[in-house]
Amino acid sequence: MGARRVLRDPFPILVGVITAAVLGILLIYPIGKALLSSFVPQGEALALKNLSLVNFQRFVTSPLYKSALVNSILVSLATTFFATILALPAAYAMARIKIPLKSLAMSLSVIPLIAPPFIGAYSWVLLLGRRGIVTVFLQENLGITLPSIFGPFGIILALSLSYFPFVFLIVQGALAAADPYIEESAAIAGARRWRILRTITFPLVAPSIASGALVVFIRALGNVGVPSVLGGDFYVLPTLILFQVEGFFNLNGAAAIAVVNVLLVLVFLLFMRRFSGKKRYVTLTGTTQRSKQNDSLGARVFGNVYVWGLLAFALVPQAMVVFSSFAERWAGTLLPTSYGLANYRLILGNVLEPIFNSVWLAGVATLLALAFGTVTAYVSLRRRFPGKWLLDLTIMLPFVLPGIVTGVAYLTTFNSGPIVLTGTSALLVFGYFVRRLAYAFRSVSASIGQVDPQLEEASIICGASWGGTMRKVTLPLIAPGMLAGAILVFSTLIGELSVTIMLFSGKTKTVSIAIFEYLTSHRIAPASAMGTVVIVITLLLVLLASRLTGKSMADMFK
Amino acid sequence: MQVGTLSVRGLTKVFETKDGPVTAVDDVNLEVASGEFFSLLGPSGCGKTTTLRMIAGLETSTSGTIAFGGRDLAPLPSASRNLGMVFQSYALFPHLTVLENAAYGLRVRRTPSVKVKERVVHLLELLGLGGLHGRYPSDLSGGQQQRVSIARALAYEPDMFLLDEPLANLDAKLRVQMREEIRRIQKELGVLALYVTHDQEEAMSVSDRIGVFRLGKLMQVGAPTEIYRNPTTLFVADFIGKINFFPAASAGKGDVTLGSGWSVRPGSRHPLSAAEAAGFGVTSDAVVAVRPEHLAIERHPAEDGIPGRVRRRLFLGSTTRYFVTCDASLKEVIVETPRPIEGVGEGDGVTLSFDPSDGIAYVGSESP
Ligand SMILES: Nc1ncnc2c1ncn2[C@@H]1O[C@H](COP(=O)(O)OP(=O)(O)OP(=O)(O)O)[C@@H](O)[C@H]1O
Ligand SMILES: [Mg+2]
Repeated sequence: MGARRVLRDPFPILVGVITAAVLGILLIYPIGKALLSSFVPQGEALALKNLSLVNFQRFVTSPLYKSALVNSILVSLATTFFATILALPAAYAMARIKIPLKSLAMSLSVIPLIAPPFIGAYSWVLLLGRRGIVTVFLQENLGITLPSIFGPFGIILALSLSYFPFVFLIVQGALAAADPYIEESAAIAGARRWRILRTITFPLVAPSIASGALVVFIRALGNVGVPSVLGGDFYVLPTLILFQVEGFFNLNGAAAIAVVNVLLVLVFLLFMRRFSGKKRYVTLTGTTQRSKQNDSLGARVFGNVYVWGLLAFALVPQAMVVFSSFAERWAGTLLPTSYGLANYRLILGNVLEPIFNSVWLAGVATLLALAFGTVTAYVSLRRRFPGKWLLDLTIMLPFVLPGIVTGVAYLTTFNSGPIVLTGTSALLVFGYFVRRLAYAFRSVSASIGQVDPQLEEASIICGASWGGTMRKVTLPLIAPGMLAGAILVFSTLIGELSVTIMLFSGKTKTVSIAIFEYLTSHRIAPASAMGTVVIVITLLLVLLASRLTGKSMADMFK
Repeated sequence: MQVGTLSVRGLTKVFETKDGPVTAVDDVNLEVASGEFFSLLGPSGCGKTTTLRMIAGLETSTSGTIAFGGRDLAPLPSASRNLGMVFQSYALFPHLTVLENAAYGLRVRRTPSVKVKERVVHLLELLGLGGLHGRYPSDLSGGQQQRVSIARALAYEPDMFLLDEPLANLDAKLRVQMREEIRRIQKELGVLALYVTHDQEEAMSVSDRIGVFRLGKLMQVGAPTEIYRNPTTLFVADFIGKINFFPAASAGKGDVTLGSGWSVRPGSRHPLSAAEAAGFGVTSDAVVAVRPEHLAIERHPAEDGIPGRVRRRLFLGSTTRYFVTCDASLKEVIVETPRPIEGVGEGDGVTLSFDPSDGIAYVGSESP
């Protein structure tokens, strides 16, 4: 019974108006204004008579723009390709092969998603750089020379290993949920394993692969931290935006680059629709029957080596950050010559303020996103009203917008015009809020979806008002889900870089900015100490959320 | 609790769906007296739940009125209608104990704590939940959860007690036990009960009166015996219990002639609409319906009767059931006798007959 419509109910209208106002001012207006200003030359007023394509012409005339565009496409596609290729065998192995300590492996697989990729990126320089541990080893023992870590090789390597879990988690979930009888009936029909894989299993999970790949592509395209640390003079669109903003404060140019960035996402989205646009195949079964696990020796050896190998490889950056944070002296030698807490003492004076800033900015944004996400999720799930599809669509928009684009849109929008927020903490709070609203909305939606609407009806029949029903029945039941959602949002905001780097000011320097500045000025020791602090804090928070909801860490990121 | 009659007039509900409007409830008229146990019975999708939800105020009606004790309920939201309702899924609050679940409505009404306790403890005792006050719903069996939801619905002495397939999730034995219990407590409190079910045996056994629904329309209202003995349509005859249909031709003066040539004057007579005849595959202008227990079975051919052949004999203990293939019947005929008939076995040719006053005739309009 979908219709719980009671006429004369002002609630959806009220919420609708507030939602429209908030989303209008904080999301639609900045995107619209950024789009408009991309068509206006730098220094000109936003007016119809000033519209021109001059900002976009630079993609034809300027070699720097041209190469950044090509590089971005190359890096994003390559990252998507390698992340998918890395993830698929692991997803298959986890779903179909007997592997000990599976839940540990699942939990470990989300660490690359929790720890901001740029924090670990420098580890690859320590390992694979010109005088890196591995480079030196390979050269002296095997005579192999690695390509330079600065440039596409390093960026693609770091991003692929950071983002493969997006594909891994969703495909693993789809495989685990797929009806085991489908594959079994193919086997009974006489198909061999490879044939089943090719003709049954792969088509079954193709839509999941496509949506995982889409997430990777959007993230790779919008990531500013990793190419800043590992790019050298190899520019991609996000670093070009940063260059335009920091070097020339050319907001119109930055907006144009952001527009091109979004266009690339749209093209890729349309391309992927060919796979995921079709109806979802994965048939969820009600049976508790799990698919049979392959326990032949060959499969087990392959599965274990691959899964644990990949995880070890993917966690190298985080491990290296922690390791180097304890290295007191590490110059000109293969390994550090002395260990201790000197790096932590070094940052002690500088870490408190950025951490304080990160915590309160992220905290306020989280509370806002949670409150707003809860109300909109409730209305969207429980009420019918015209234009509901528009609400669902708008609120999910930040999912397909690269972070740097939100940053540019906010910078251009709130720098002038009716609302000026440049340099204020409010700017960052609103930016964070918009950036994470979709997450809050989604996790609260999931909790509300678990509450049988008949519970609310039962309460109302008993004579309770709508408010009383919310207070006594609905909110107590969704509270754990809300809390977990809040922790997740909060912990991912602590290390947020791509919005922060566009919007921070001297007063609102966060830990991510502090780490970023250390890294780009090659002060690795304090960077790794501060990075370790961030990694540990976020990991503990996610563990706490996992405890609170009883969900595994991996499930929370699906 | 307020005593009063529920009166439903011209109640209609049209759902707007993607595939166009769906009429879920179609011009339903009902009067239910105070203290009465009334069942809404019908096959799946016939609009029982929708009717109940409109009475509860959980669904708006497209047209029609609902009044209780002479007072129109339309302006009252659900919360102000003072109803008790039991849901099929029980809908117990998982975060509250048995006691707090049962006390919920009283707490909402700001009843003094001492009175709440007194009333709820008494009710839980009545429902055999004495020792379970502190348990949470997840630690209860299905039957116990059911009782808690009944306690929650009745604690604040509602004017009407609404139940939507409350027994559907219980096993067969518990269903029989619980339905007796629901009726007992309803009679004890004297509250008007509206009970939705698609199980005709359940409806027959607990109700004072039954309303039989079909495709959103109320087909017949009556006491269980009346509905069983004198169904006014082929649909109700077929839906309630087992029945055999014999095509016939009307022969004037209330007589009808069966396919075997036997002429009878059935005890009751109802019109047969062309649509219903078509729905049951009837091509003759009349049909005679006879319950299995009203049919007699004989080994010897007789002049008055219906010839057939026994295909299968089932000994069921308290009765014996014969399946008889018969040219003069729409389908295979079912005969039920208290004990096996001497000398009648599978494959034997037999003659069926009945006391004409037990037959119900349905006669098309064009015939006299
Ligand atoms: N919210 C709705 N929107 C559209 N159609 C609906 C809605 N609710 C019910 N219907 C339709 O109305 C008709 C009656 O539904 P209802 O739930 O009242 O049936 P029911 O008699 O309770 O059946 P059951 O025994 O299966 O519970 C069905 O055809 C159903 O599909
Ligand atoms: Mg129903």
